[in-house]
Parts: sequence; structure tokens; C-alpha cells
Amino acid sequence: MTEDSMVTIEVDGQELKAKAGAMLIDVADQAGIDIPRFCYHNKLSVSANCRMCLIEVEKVPKPIPACATSVMDGMKVYTKSPMALAAQKGTMEFLLINHPLDCPVCDQGGECELQDQSLAYGSDVARFVEKKRLVPKKYIGPLVETNFNRCIHCTRCVRFSAEIAGMREMGSTGRGEYMKIGTYVERTIDSELSGNLIDICPVGSLTSKPYRYQARAWELTQSDSVAPHDAVGSNIHIHVRNNRVMRVHPKANEAVNECWISDRDRFSYEGLYSEDRLTSPMIKENGRWVETDWETALQQVADGLKEMGAGTGALLSPSATVEELYLAQKLVRSLGSDNIDFRVRQSDFRGGEPALPWLGLGIDEIEAVDAVLVIGANPRKDQPILGHRLRKAALNGASVCYLNPLEYDLNYHAEQLLSAPANMADDLAAVAKAVGATGAIIDDAEVKAQHQSVAEQLKQAGSALVLLGNLASAHPDYSILSALAAEVAKASGAKIGFIGEAANSTGARLVAAMPTDGLNAQSMLEQPCKGYLLLGLEPDRDFWNPTQAQTAFKQAEFVVALTAYRSASLEAAADVLLPMAGFAETSGTYVNGDGTWQSFAGAVQPMGEARPAWKILRVMGNLLDADGFDQNSSQDVLEQARNSADGRQLDNSVTADLGQERRLNGSGLTRIGDVPIYATDALVRRAPALQKTADAISAAIRINPGEAAKAGLADGDRATVIQEGNLATMPVEIDPGVAGGSVRVCAALAGSETLGGQFGEVTLEKA
Amino acid sequence: MKVLRNYIKSLFLLEMFKGMRLTGSYLWRKKFTIRYPEERAPMSPRFRGLHALRRDENGEECCVGCKLCEATCPAMAITIETGPREDDGSRRTTRYDIDLFKCIFCGYCVEACPVDAIVETRICDYHFEERGENIMLKDELLAIGEENRDRINSDLSAQAKYR
Repeated sequence: MTEDSMVTIEVDGQELKAKAGAMLIDVADQAGIDIPRFCYHNKLSVSANCRMCLIEVEKVPKPIPACATSVMDGMKVYTKSPMALAAQKGTMEFLLINHPLDCPVCDQGGECELQDQSLAYGSDVARFVEKKRLVPKKYIGPLVETNFNRCIHCTRCVRFSAEIAGMREMGSTGRGEYMKIGTYVERTIDSELSGNLIDICPVGSLTSKPYRYQARAWELTQSDSVAPHDAVGSNIHIHVRNNRVMRVHPKANEAVNECWISDRDRFSYEGLYSEDRLTSPMIKENGRWVETDWETALQQVADGLKEMGAGTGALLSPSATVEELYLAQKLVRSLGSDNIDFRVRQSDFRGGEPALPWLGLGIDEIEAVDAVLVIGANPRKDQPILGHRLRKAALNGASVCYLNPLEYDLNYHAEQLLSAPANMADDLAAVAKAVGATGAIIDDAEVKAQHQSVAEQLKQAGSALVLLGNLASAHPDYSILSALAAEVAKASGAKIGFIGEAANSTGARLVAAMPTDGLNAQSMLEQPCKGYLLLGLEPDRDFWNPTQAQTAFKQAEFVVALTAYRSASLEAAADVLLPMAGFAETSGTYVNGDGTWQSFAGAVQPMGEARPAWKILRVMGNLLDADGFDQNSSQDVLEQARNSADGRQLDNSVTADLGQERRLNGSGLTRIGDVPIYATDALVRRAPALQKTADAISAAIRINPGEAAKAGLADGDRATVIQEGNLATMPVEIDPGVAGGSVRVCAALAGSETLGGQFGEVTLEKA
Repeated sequence: MKVLRNYIKSLFLLEMFKGMRLTGSYLWRKKFTIRYPEERAPMSPRFRGLHALRRDENGEECCVGCKLCEATCPAMAITIETGPREDDGSRRTTRYDIDLFKCIFCGYCVEACPVDAIVETRICDYHFEERGENIMLKDELLAIGEENRDRINSDLSAQAKYR
């Protein structure tokens, strides 16, 4: 019987067609026939150990588990027969033997599968009067709370860690009553997807730590939204109680995030309630900040911007919504200025980028590719759901190669070419030469075995993909890298894809939040503008070169910042601070990496006097007497933005010149200033639970042992990084995963804001 | 003729004397009114009066913040906020308010409570002088529980067999 052939089965008298080999429980689910289960999860392997889905099949003497039984032609299944019900009731009684009766204090109470199913399938009296088992709770990190007394040993968490998170962090030890779930050696769960353990646990054994004891499921109102942190645009549910975001859950969308979300998307909501939320408009009077009302503040902004006119520069966050970016660019253009940009973490604007870079294929198509070359990116941490898709591709047999200045800890097999920032172009040129491309740098490249092997994999693959990510776009030779990547893709027949850095990198381009002939993000700071409009950015953390940004803002005559937070660097830079609504407080739209427009409504009221940024920008437009600022809702703005984006197509064709001058020459040490996973935007940086995880690294000089020996540094020393005359002193960490000739000094962390660009020549001095 | 008879009857106040005889007869019978508030009528142990929050024999508050009373309250009179307690991380209420203007004394909260933390006492006479006093705070409810500890406990055991 072939896999595709259909069989006919009968479930509870209902005739169903199903694919041969499908599991009974899946077929029943699709037909809407309810079969109770705990251990079965459609994204995980079948273990059939909870025995809750026992059902009766004709001519089979004993009840059998529906999750581990494949359908056969002519099968007659009874899910509600006396035998099935007795089996389910018996299983439930066994499961409850050791399950504590602590539902009143359990966070799962009210949304617990065990509670629901014991009501539906269980007995009302317990016959077990002996003592229950006691299992001590374990500390597994700041995100997930454990209470293993409640565990029913379904092993969903064990299978999740191994199969989805790819880290084998959890396991079970012992047998029967002595079986325990745990990490064996006490340690934390460090996966970037660990929050999903909370969802898959059917009981209250693994629950959310930040949400602990905060609310009950029945008190929460659910709104749909889109996660604001990466180019995936994971679909989420926001759960609200008393106008406060209590937690975030994934919303299943097979085309985007399946049923998972990253920890960053799940726990970043805590940042909304940070103490430094800006709740009323503020203006600087004689160097002192005073709270004021909206009218005064907006009038001052309008006056200021009118005076700046064409000298205004707008720097916009790529995490802002389509509506905000559209209105912001419209506002600045109405002032006669074309200095608008959202590419605040890019330094090379020599035209290396395609007209409208995007992922190149659907997020759900990634797992089907046969070979991937990832250049200057770590999707596992930068876009965790994308990383998961890549992992799925690798497990499906795709060969995945990385070309990075850092060696990453990956949860699948991949070939990693480690290359100092200055040599990345040479290595990529060598790969290009090996696949048969020709051109300026390519012809001089020296092809080694490793390049040859990458090239072979790309060429042999049926569908290959070349991806460029965050580190590549921050690279000073980004235009060369992308031109080389395009050559590699062309010669090997691969698709090329650009992973947008933030939630709306693609959307920002679609609504033209970038200059046509004005100044770009880099030149706006190099040749300071008279005035600046900042949207959702922090001068000390969100720029490629924070020192340059802070200096430029200080020199400017007038700086207005729309921000959700009141940080010291904003207070130093700005003249007016306008409080804008944060994540979940505003309606909007994000266009994710594969070009999907995803709109969402606000879930809670903005805090204090804060207002959605699109409303602020609209009123600013009115005060400046600009045309086209008469929208009444964010839907109106979206409609206009969509119309304005009509002529623009996603387009990954690169036309850069390979023979451009190389900005990194590789003499001395080069800084690698990557942005760690929990430092990407203002919201995440303020989420306390995420900041306690192992991934939330603090500023340090990370250097490989060879370079450390050359510089006379040892692990634990303190040293000063000197970059273009800027200093920062931080501890030294020896990390063999950093390429030679370079030193990893992360950007966007506290302590690194006094340094220069994300990449550049540095010297180290022992402090 | 009938009219004339009725006229004479009313002239001699016969109906009134009949009534007064009934009234007068009660003057010598045993009284069945009581002198409230000095005297009280007997009350059932299941009387549903003012609420109280109990503490157990160790002085620990019984309430674990499961919020079932809040969920079941038909008048939405109960407001609870919970969180882990600072010292031991146990689940406790950080706020437990009952609005007595909203409360209809149905006793559902008592029925819903899995730990017998919220009870309704026999206290049925109280007053408020200021707006806002109608909202009983957690401390006040706990204080009522402590003051009437013995009575609450005996009432609970008296009705235990019916629950």
C-alpha cells in the first residue's frame, strides 16, 4: 500500500477517509471526534505512554492507544464504547494516584488538561488513600517554574527539548513510581524556545515564572497580535487582565511560527511595566526636564520642526509599525527633507543592497531546502523561529553551512567557516570561485577544501538558499558581501535571501521609510543634521555607532524623540520627549521577512498619557499644516500605506560592484559588535526575567586563546577596549569561538555605548 | 332592617370591644418578642452574615488565593489580587476586597472555597458612616475571623456533615 492511498475507516459509526499510515488520533481530530490524551502532541514524536487515548477497535481484544495506532482500511473504531470508557476511566484513576490535589494553588488551574479530562472521563471518588509521592522542585532557570509533584510523566517536555529545542536538556530517570523528570545534573534550561515547555506541559508541572500566581485563565481576555522582535512576526495571543498584559501565548500559524514562539516574544511584555516608562510629554527647559501637557509639547515640536525644515533628519526604529513609519516619512518629506532612514544598524550604504530585500522564500519553505549557506547571521538567536526552521531543514537532510566571524553553538550539524570580519569577503569570494563565478575579488580568491565543500553542497542541492543576516548587514563591507552572495547564488542556482534585522525591516522599505536622494542613517550622523526626529530609538543602544549618534544629537539644535521609555541617553540627546504607546498598546501592522502583512489591534490602553505613535505623528502633521494627515483610524493609515507600497515589489536582485574598496583591511584586531538576543530593542532590554537568562550576556571582551596570549590577557582580567579614541573597560572572557584577528565586544549592552561602530579596528590594553 | 341593626351595633362600639378583647387577652400571655439588641433570636450555624477570613491554628491565613470565590460571586463583589509571598514564595492574596453594597449574601463564596478560608459569620448588624467603608479589606476580614474564631470553628464543625 502506498503512502498516498486513502483508506476508509469508521469511527463511532461515522465513515472517514484517511491517508494510509495516518495515526488514528489525527484522523479523529480532523473529524472533530474528541479522544482524550496527554502525551500526544502533533508536533512531537509519539510515545504512547500516558494511555489516556485508549479506544476500542473491532476485532482487537484489548483497548489500544489511538495515538500509536495507524489507520487500516475497514477499521471500526469505538471511542465511547463501554470498553473504551472503562479503560479511560481506569487510566485517569492511575494518573491521579500521585497527582496532588493542589489545584487551588496551581497556576494551571482553570486551563489544565488533567482537570478537564478528569471531569469528563474520570471518577468522582478516589479509592487511593495511601500517601502520595513527593518530588522536590528544581530550579531550571528564570523563565520556567517547576513543580514535579504534579507531573504525570507524559514526557512531552523531554521530547520537546530533544526534538524541537534540540538541546536534550530534560530527561527522565527511574521507573514506575520512581520516575522523575529533570535535568539530571542541576542546571538551567537555556534554549531560546524554552518557554514553549509551559504550553506543552498538560498539567501544572512546568509553568511560567514571571506569570506565577498573577491571574487565572478565566480572568484573562485574549487578543491576537504579532510579536515585535524579529523578522518572523510570530503570531501571538496577548492575555490581558485589568488593562495589564499578563502573559503572551503563541497563536498557531503553520505558515509562520507553527505553534511555537521564542522566549523573547513570550516574556518581553514585562518590559512594558519597566519603571522608566515615559507617561507624560516632557520638555527640556534650561537643561531641566519638566512634565507638560500634549498641547504645549506638540506645539513646541511643530515650531521646532518648522524651523529645522529641510535640515531635519528622521531616524526610525525598524520595529515601528507600518503605520508609524509611513506617517513619519510623510511628515518629514512634507518638511522638505528626504533624510529618513530606519537602517540604524547598517554602516555600508554603497548600494550593495537589493531594492527591496526579503527572505526570498516563505518562512515555511525553509525546511524544504536542501542546502543553505548562512552568511553573517545566527538565526538561532537572532530569529529563533527561523533558526528552528533551519534546524528542521538540517534534520530533513539539508546541508547547512555558516560563514561567520563567530562560531555558534548550534543544535544541529552544520559546517561553520570561521572567518575574521576582514576575511569574510575573501572566504565568500573563494566559495564563489568554487561554484564557478567570476569577478573582481573572486578571481583572486584562494579556494581551499572547506570552500570547495560548501560550493559542492550548494551546487548539488536541488534547492539551495544563501542567507544574509544581522552581522552581514552591520558589516562595513556589506555591499561587497551581498554582491558576492548574489554571485554565489547565481552560479550555484540558489535563491538569495536577506533576513531582516527587526520586526518591520521589510515593511519599512515598502513604505519608503528610507531616503531616495537624501541622507541615510550613516551620513545623517556623520554630517549632523540641524534637527532630528527619533522614533522608538535609544541613542546609546540602537545605533551602529552609538558614540557618533550621541554626539550628533548633542550638537543638533532640536531633537524630538517619540519613545516609550525615558532613558538617560534620550534625556541627554532630546529636547522634547513624547510618550508613545508600546508593544500591545497600539494597533498596527508588521511586514515580516517573507513579505506577509500582519495587522493587529491594541490589547491594552497606553500607559499614562502615552498615545499610539501614529496618532502623535498625525497630529504633528496637522500642526505643521501638511497635506494628507486626516486619517481617523490606523486602518485608514494602513490603507494609504498599502496604496503607497503598491508599486514596490519584493526584489532580491543585487547590482553592486564587486570591485569596491574594502573598508576592513584586517590589520590589527577587529571588533565584532554583534547584538545579543536579549538586547535587540528597548522592550527586551527592560524585561527582567529575560535579563536573568544565560543568553543575556553582559559586556565583555571575548577573545580566542591565541589572540589573548598575544595581547597578554587572561580569563577574568579587566581590559580597556580602544576604538577610534573611545574607551570602554570590561572583563576579558576567553572564547575559542571567536575568529582570530578579532575580538567580540557586543553592541547594545550596558558598557559598550561609549565605543564606536559595531565593526572596526580596536586595540586592547590591560586595565 | 339590616341597616338599622348595623347602625345600633356601631353605636355601641361592639366590634371594637370584640377586638379589644383579643388584644387584651395577649396582655397576660407569655411574650414572644425579644428585646433586640439586648436579647437575640436563635440563629442557625449556617447563618449567612458578615464575611470573615480564617486563620489556621498556627496563625497562618487559610486563603491560598485560588480565586474561586471571586469567580463564583454572582454579584461580582469580590476583588482579589494574588502573587507569591515574599518570604516563602507561597501563593497568597495581596488584595482581598468584598464590597458589601454589592454582596447579596448568597454564600456561594463559602461553598466554593476549597480551604474554608472565607466564611460568613453570624454578624448581621453593622453600619457604615463613610463612603468606602462598605469595602471590607483583607485585614478587616482577617480581624473579624480572629475575633469570632471559636464561634466560626464551632459553626463549621456543626455544618460539616451537610457539606
